[in-house]
Amino acid sequence: MIDFIKKPFGHEPVLTKEDIKKRKDKDDQRRANDISGTLKRLWKFISEERKLLYSIIFLVTLTSLLSITGPFLVGYIVDNYFVPREFDGLGRILLFLLVVYILLSSIQYTAAFFMVGLSQRTIFKLRSRLFSHMQKLPVKFYDKRQHGELMSRMTNDIETISQTLNTSFIQFTTSVVTLIGTISVMLYLSPLLTLLTVTIIPLLIMAVAFITKRTGPLYKKRQKATGEMNGYIEEMVSGQEIVKVFSQEETAIRNFSDKAANLREITFWAFLYAGLIPKIMNMLNNVSFTIVAGAGGLLVFYTDGLVTIGTIVVFAEYARQFTRPLADLSNQFNQVLSALAGAERVFGIIDSETETDAGHIEDVTIRGEIEFDDVSFSYDADQEKSTINQLSFKIDAGESVALIGATGAGKTTVMQLLARFYETDEGEIRIDDRNILDYKRTAVRSQTAFVLQDPYLFEATIRENIRYGKLDATDDEVIEAAKLANAHEFIIELENGYDTVLEADEGFVSQGQKQLISIARALITDPAILLLDEATSSIDTVTELKIQEALERLMKDRTSIIIAHRLNTIKAVDRIFVMELGELVESGSEEELLEAGGRYHQMIADNK
Amino acid sequence: MLTVYKFALKYKWFMAIALFFMLIELTVELTQPYLISKVIDDGIVAESIDTVWFYLIVMFAISMVAFISGIMNSLFASHVANSFSYDLRTALFRRVQYFTLATLSKFPTSSLITRMTQDVLQSEMLLYMSLRVIIKAPLLVVGSLIMSFVVNPTLGFYLSFLTPILLIFLIFTARKGGQIFLRVQKRLDKINRFIQQNLEAVRLIKANDRADFEINKFSKVAGRLRDDTIYALRLMESIMPVLLLIINGSLLVVLWMASDLLQNNTIQVGEVVAVVNYALRMQGGFSMFAFIIIAFSRSKASSDRMEEVLKSPISINDNAEIVKENQAGSVKFEGVSFRYPGSSRYVLRDISFEVREKEKFIIMGGTGSGKSTLLSLIPKMYETEEGTIYINERDIKEWNEEDLRQVIGYVPQSAVLFSGSIFENLLWGDLEALESDIFTSTQKAQIHNSIESFDHRYDTRVGQRGVTLSGGQKQRLSIARALVRKPGILILDDSTSALDIRTESALWEAIREEETTQIIVTQKIVTAKMADRILLLEGGEINALGSHEELLQQSDLYRSIVESQTEGGQLDD
Repeated sequence: MIDFIKKPFGHEPVLTKEDIKKRKDKDDQRRANDISGTLKRLWKFISEERKLLYSIIFLVTLTSLLSITGPFLVGYIVDNYFVPREFDGLGRILLFLLVVYILLSSIQYTAAFFMVGLSQRTIFKLRSRLFSHMQKLPVKFYDKRQHGELMSRMTNDIETISQTLNTSFIQFTTSVVTLIGTISVMLYLSPLLTLLTVTIIPLLIMAVAFITKRTGPLYKKRQKATGEMNGYIEEMVSGQEIVKVFSQEETAIRNFSDKAANLREITFWAFLYAGLIPKIMNMLNNVSFTIVAGAGGLLVFYTDGLVTIGTIVVFAEYARQFTRPLADLSNQFNQVLSALAGAERVFGIIDSETETDAGHIEDVTIRGEIEFDDVSFSYDADQEKSTINQLSFKIDAGESVALIGATGAGKTTVMQLLARFYETDEGEIRIDDRNILDYKRTAVRSQTAFVLQDPYLFEATIRENIRYGKLDATDDEVIEAAKLANAHEFIIELENGYDTVLEADEGFVSQGQKQLISIARALITDPAILLLDEATSSIDTVTELKIQEALERLMKDRTSIIIAHRLNTIKAVDRIFVMELGELVESGSEEELLEAGGRYHQMIADNK
Repeated sequence: MLTVYKFALKYKWFMAIALFFMLIELTVELTQPYLISKVIDDGIVAESIDTVWFYLIVMFAISMVAFISGIMNSLFASHVANSFSYDLRTALFRRVQYFTLATLSKFPTSSLITRMTQDVLQSEMLLYMSLRVIIKAPLLVVGSLIMSFVVNPTLGFYLSFLTPILLIFLIFTARKGGQIFLRVQKRLDKINRFIQQNLEAVRLIKANDRADFEINKFSKVAGRLRDDTIYALRLMESIMPVLLLIINGSLLVVLWMASDLLQNNTIQVGEVVAVVNYALRMQGGFSMFAFIIIAFSRSKASSDRMEEVLKSPISINDNAEIVKENQAGSVKFEGVSFRYPGSSRYVLRDISFEVREKEKFIIMGGTGSGKSTLLSLIPKMYETEEGTIYINERDIKEWNEEDLRQVIGYVPQSAVLFSGSIFENLLWGDLEALESDIFTSTQKAQIHNSIESFDHRYDTRVGQRGVTLSGGQKQRLSIARALVRKPGILILDDSTSALDIRTESALWEAIREEETTQIIVTQKIVTAKMADRILLLEGGEINALGSHEELLQQSDLYRSIVESQTEGGQLDD
């Protein structure tokens, strides 16, 4: 039996004593600060429409008062007409009651109507704010986070807030007004009976305190567990091909089950505790009903006239009317807690530091001179060896350079630093003799085209994908770029040509063709600086030869840095940089390097 | 909805117990107004203190019974709902794991995520609330009506007078609500999908400076969600006021009629009070209906979406088990033509060739000539419609997928790694691999030394898709992962494109020594030269098949490839 109480149906307890206590200790203060901080920030989003909100609160107050008036009038009818059996004027009162009821319903709907709009607009603002913030976060932020977990904040967490906003304001106002209203009327009718009825309040507060102390941390844990599960699903579904070829479906299922089971345990307890509140309410409700009926009945005897049958009727109803807002409030409390947990996670992202941009140079035409001055960089702060180590070089405007070297030598990192995906740890990168940090990020990026190692294409038409490089490009320009990249031929062979929608995970377009499209996307921008990171690695050499010409034309008169392994591509450049372990070990034109007989010479010799 | 809620059947006894306790609660609630009429009529009006005391104690006692029942109900309901959602969720995930790739491509990842989280949650809530209040609400309404008939049939009749109108209204909103919430759910999917793409394209977006463009696009998607949600919720918010108005109207009718009856002395005041009280309880019951309809509509939409997953075809694995054969395998294509499901364009046409045991077989061809597609048919990632493929001289259709894939080590074109440590990633190749096996594989894949140079060595955390590793490191890891499997057939899909020549040639050296059949897609003639035979594809058809020398003689295309790589030399040449 005791076992069952501790672990009902084998559900292991997930709350530790610390979890429950936490809110009592020093953390209490900070928690309260956290909560009020989160509330304040949420309020900022709502307060833009605060006039509307105040009007809604006013309307809700009205409906609450009207809904108190209803039972009051019914009691009045019983006392003054039914008990004495005097029916003169009853019609008028009933008519008045009808008006009250009609007003009640219509005002209630009006308030809800506006509240829905208000809350959804607020949610929209919050969502947009989160999204635009995400656009400004540095690449570093994304490197170590699961996509699914981030997506969960955008949907699961925000939806929780949305559901709360929709109901909480109205519920809260209704509850407070009803509570005050009913107690006032009850006091007016019979202070003694009121006193008896409110004895349940301390009991209620104790019960609610007991429960919320547990549900709070549980809801937080639940949001987190959901996020983790989300992340896992995303990863396993998008990497499904690998799961399949390695027949690891069962492993994936097993890992998933663990995460789902964790969520099940947490939710079981969360539901159990949260579910107690209405039950306690019900019990107190019934008890107060008993008190009213029983004690009221006795009072009729003992106080002789102070308590009437009508009073009992009204009290019986009010006892319910007044426990309900209390129940609602405590239910609200739970919902608000889980929404706050969600909001905290959303603000957690909004608080992450964005890419700082202290640059001030904006409208400037970049010539394309690039200089690395003693640059060091590591992806991880606690990494022993830097990925880039005191790297220095200079590339003239219009010059083309090939970066070669073993994998992990830091070639891609050089590109990423130039694109300002990351900031250097030490040293300075200069463009046209000015520190890259002095430029507005957009000023440099808008004049740089970057073809990435893994070509990413959006779920959109091929045309839209190419146009992504230059949003106002005409159809002719798109086709022109595609032709230059040698993509035109295969595109027009597709059933829908340029309007073929590229969908995730489908094989209509091969990896090499994707690279061709992404080259076209870069070509269309006409940049001052061109960065090609293995842009042609999956393209066959015959096709590559064809686009070689286009690339050469493209590299002419603009600064280009390319990473490639094929000599054809490398031969077309002015200088070659050989990198090793984040350092530059050789540089010069091809002939110079061959003559020098160093690493490059060795590489060529290796292959002969 | 049935398919989804069948998962709850497993817990039918628990549900029955939960409902039993709920019924006790309900009975207590329904008895209270009856008792209060007794207190008034038999106690107060009849001036009998003992009767008042008696009912007082009875009412208190049954309140406690109701409370304990309530707690038991909560306990059972919570257990059922959470076990149900766990079962449902794992069933969904399992189903997805066994989807064919063709099925999988029909569902965007983001939509599968929403189905496994949000949609499951909706059904879970519906079940949970059903066991607690949803079933109680109509019973409360019906019970109140019946009790009011018991108390006084005439008043009971007046009270039930407007119920049909109510029902019609409720059915209408429930239907409408289902449709609207389905749309809202779809919009939410879109948002999810948008974010997923956005996350994957982070670098591209930044490099092109398209943050504002993306924000604008997002605004539109989120705006549509906002508008549809507003529409849906406004409809739902209308339920309560309408219900209230109707039920209050009935109450007015009851009061009006009661005054007549009282005048004729045909009823007691206590009876009126009781009926009024029942009317108010009905109101409470009906007020839950709004909530129920929302929960029901949402969950209808959700369960439809989950059913779609549960009913989608999966790869059927009913073929007999084949003992794992570790020795090198053979592959034979006979007149194979292939198009992707849903497309009319043939990617491969009439392909026939044979790869013998331990052969080093190279596949070459232009961009989009069908190389990767051909490779993906070997581990049965797609079913072929025309022609036959034989693996180890057995028709691929007769193979149990798991056994087939056991034999194969596959390295895809873009290296996919999962978040976790490097070691965990390598274990994907073979969960039972010994540490020494793993080290051998990483050494062959030329990645062991790099890993050893990381601060945390094999425990180094890899971000999702291996973001913190260089392209070449990712490729070598994914090769090592395939080698861990000790495959009979090793398939490499242009998986060394990011490697420098030195590393690459060392890698080929090591792989050449492997006693397995090797099928390798490459762009590089140097690599091709090492092979026993080369298959050259052009536009989905076989252009030539033979050794390097033979192809030099036979194929113009091959010669032009060789030329493209020798003219002026190639760094990799």
